[in-house]
Amino acid sequence: MKLEVNGVNREVRSEPLTPLLDVLREELDVTSPKAGCHAGGCGACTVMVDGKPRRSCLIPVAAVDGASITTVEGLGTPKDPSAVQQSFIHHYAAQCGFCTPGMVVAATAYIDGGGSDDKDEIAKAISGHVCRCTGYTKILDAIAAATKQTEFDITIIAPDPTTVTIGGSE
Amino acid sequence: MKAVGARLPRYDGMGHVTGHTRFVDDVRVPGMLWAKALRSPHHHAAIVHMDTSKAAAMPGVHTIVTWEDVPLLEYGHLSGLGIPADEPLLARDVVRYKGQPIALVAADDEETASAAAAAIEIEYEERPALLDVRLAFDEDAPKIHHWGNWYPHFEEEMDVRQIRKGNIDQAFEDADKIISGVYRSSAIEQAPVETQVGLAVPEPDGRLTIYSCTQALYFSLGVVAAHLEVPLNKVKIVGGTVGGGFGGKVDTATDTVIALAAQKTGRPVKWRWTREEEFLASSTRGPWHMEIIDAVTNDGWILGRKMLTLHDSGAYARFSPYGLTKHSFHHTGAYTIPNLHFDGYVVFTNRVPSTAMRGFGVTSISFAGETHMTRVANELGMDPYEIRLKNANRVGDTSPNRIRYTDPSTVDVVKAIANAEGRDLEPALAGMTRATRSGEMLPPHLVDQLDTSEGSH
Amino acid sequence: MSVDVVIPESESEAVEAYGDGSDITVIAGGTIVMQLLNYQRFEPSKVLLLAHAGMSYINMPVKEQGQNDGSTVTVGATTPLADLTVLASPLGACAANVADDEIRGQATLGGNLCSPAPPEHPSGDLQGALIALDAMVRSTGADGEKSEQIEDFLPHRSDRLALDVSFEPPASGAFAAFRRPHAHHYTPLAVSGATSADGTVRLGVTGAGDFGIRLNAAEAAADDPEAAGEASLTDVTMADDAIISGWYREQLLPTLVKRVLNEMKDGS
Repeated sequence: MKLEVNGVNREVRSEPLTPLLDVLREELDVTSPKAGCHAGGCGACTVMVDGKPRRSCLIPVAAVDGASITTVEGLGTPKDPSAVQQSFIHHYAAQCGFCTPGMVVAATAYIDGGGSDDKDEIAKAISGHVCRCTGYTKILDAIAAATKQTEFDITIIAPDPTTVTIGGSE
Repeated sequence: MKAVGARLPRYDGMGHVTGHTRFVDDVRVPGMLWAKALRSPHHHAAIVHMDTSKAAAMPGVHTIVTWEDVPLLEYGHLSGLGIPADEPLLARDVVRYKGQPIALVAADDEETASAAAAAIEIEYEERPALLDVRLAFDEDAPKIHHWGNWYPHFEEEMDVRQIRKGNIDQAFEDADKIISGVYRSSAIEQAPVETQVGLAVPEPDGRLTIYSCTQALYFSLGVVAAHLEVPLNKVKIVGGTVGGGFGGKVDTATDTVIALAAQKTGRPVKWRWTREEEFLASSTRGPWHMEIIDAVTNDGWILGRKMLTLHDSGAYARFSPYGLTKHSFHHTGAYTIPNLHFDGYVVFTNRVPSTAMRGFGVTSISFAGETHMTRVANELGMDPYEIRLKNANRVGDTSPNRIRYTDPSTVDVVKAIANAEGRDLEPALAGMTRATRSGEMLPPHLVDQLDTSEGSH
Repeated sequence: MSVDVVIPESESEAVEAYGDGSDITVIAGGTIVMQLLNYQRFEPSKVLLLAHAGMSYINMPVKEQGQNDGSTVTVGATTPLADLTVLASPLGACAANVADDEIRGQATLGGNLCSPAPPEHPSGDLQGALIALDAMVRSTGADGEKSEQIEDFLPHRSDRLALDVSFEPPASGAFAAFRRPHAHHYTPLAVSGATSADGTVRLGVTGAGDFGIRLNAAEAAADDPEAAGEASLTDVTMADDAIISGWYREQLLPTLVKRVLNEMKDGS
């Protein structure tokens, strides 16, 4: 079997019913998709299959023989992060980081598909993705912003005018 | 001072969003073995016979770790504080919760390890299970622990965490009304998206490197070294990258057992739990049973509180005595009640051991206490804001364990909530501050509890 | 443990490989079977993987002016749920309500039809809508190929390989579901309704029992949505699970039935 993973053609030797997730992680050493549940319930393993977001834990690899797979590593690099990746950093949408690869792939697919900055629509698009850290608010903010903007400030340290002074009230 | 008041990007943000952050399961080393556990299928049973020889002889199986391999079988997370341990690393003769690890197989792959774990010959004698804390004190309750059904090692070898303050009998005599309520919270799985996982790598110099998802790296270091009976410098833990913990990765779940497997085989060993194992066998936020009886006056003063708390610790103590102690210190919540009679028990059941989760011990009493405040207000026909502001902690008030409050925020928080809800408070309440009680807000029953010293704690 | 995996490249190859269906596990989209395989819930000896069998299609005759609207719609068994969402209510809305975009892109009509009921909760999200549409299922199995009404098909669905589903587009249709803020892998409770060209109203429910159920008593009272809602409770024995209790399902079902009937009245 063959897969094109992040633009590189790879031979696959795993058994045909091996989940795509395990092929990527265990055979091809592409470790960004995470195994949160192996049951389609958490979304941490979401990758793009021919441009469409899919739960890689539920796909037998033989079903996608010859397909093009894009993981979060294929969307941007630390030197050249995509708009969605920058927005996630800027909005603190990645906290422990474990759900982030799946979230970023789903968000990218949503925006590629013409998704708007409507938070209800975004919530639907990521409704199969579990995040236990953020309460989702920051993730919704990050995706909404990335539908409008392609560059985000991710390095500069500047005082935040909205900072609330703590203590010493009254 | 560039960073103060600034928005700093997360130092690990770029790694997270580009998929480059290396979590424990992403770490690959050559020659790695894979581990699977034999877990108890019963809530409570005696192990009458176990034979690992056939499983160990299966092709691809490298070792099976059992209790016999553990130099120090019982070591608790609070052992360092002098609290005796009660939990074997691997079950020896009794299993006390469903999912309790009994043996760990290290094999060439997970499939082989699973098959070998299933092939271990083991015979149980099932015992009745205790699953409800309220039944633990009954004479005919199943006896689940060599300590009995509740923890007996609070200071001075007491089996109960007590708080006694003021004159509780007088408070109940002086009360216009006695208002009681029973509150229960359920167990909650922390459910981090990354399940429990660890990788132990034996180094050529005899040391062990452990890639751990622990939230409490130095806890884990001490626990692993203690079980192995080796000095701390023989163990190196690589941590800091945790795929969510929320308290559920404070207990050392995998590290010690894989360390033993790595020692026995001389090979790196990785053990990662399935989501099912995580839900079945990883520690939870503990359930609580709380009974509150308040002595109150018709004008909304709470003169005294009697409280009984049963903390469902699950099968072993772990951090529960500490959680219950925190709970007892906070059992009046954000309010000052001068006369107290609190009894709290850490009760053992045949449920998964409970552990830390965000403010454990305190969230339970916040839930019970705030619900009860509203119940008291309702029964008195009083505004729930008024009763909270009246009894709110003020500067100089003292906590159940006689700590002087130097800057309590109750008044401000309650006013902020009223404001957010669009409630107009009466001027007397609206003008209230956290400053030391005086005038109408210092009724006789609150005088003695005041600490007028200026010192802070 | 090596599994014999057959990967047919056409419907006829699939039919041949399926044979009488004994000892064969079918994987279409994978969303049901892969979870079970990942957790070693069973070890199939032979698997039929339909991903490349070319059974994903929707034949929907283009409606032209003056043509009657009775042109049959035929949907191939491995058509993903995402493709069904463009269809008119109730099937389109019903498909759109399943799980999330990613699962809908992978899960198939046939898998949904043939899913065995897991022990913990009901399954077969689309079955209620297909019952409302009076759909015909073409399938193969021990006694060869046959077409039958969906209600006849469902009880022996695990012994059959579904090939396609066909139905007449309804004159009006409606769908109402219990909503939750997070995607779930099964539909907790949903009601579908359709009115055929001759004015007959049919109602189907998903999530009440092991598989989709026709609401006969509710249909008989369809003129009075309130009464139909009440009557619907006599049509089912409610499932009871962790996401939604039997008691709560009983509170919801009449409301959903009422909503569907009212919507169809308004729409026609």
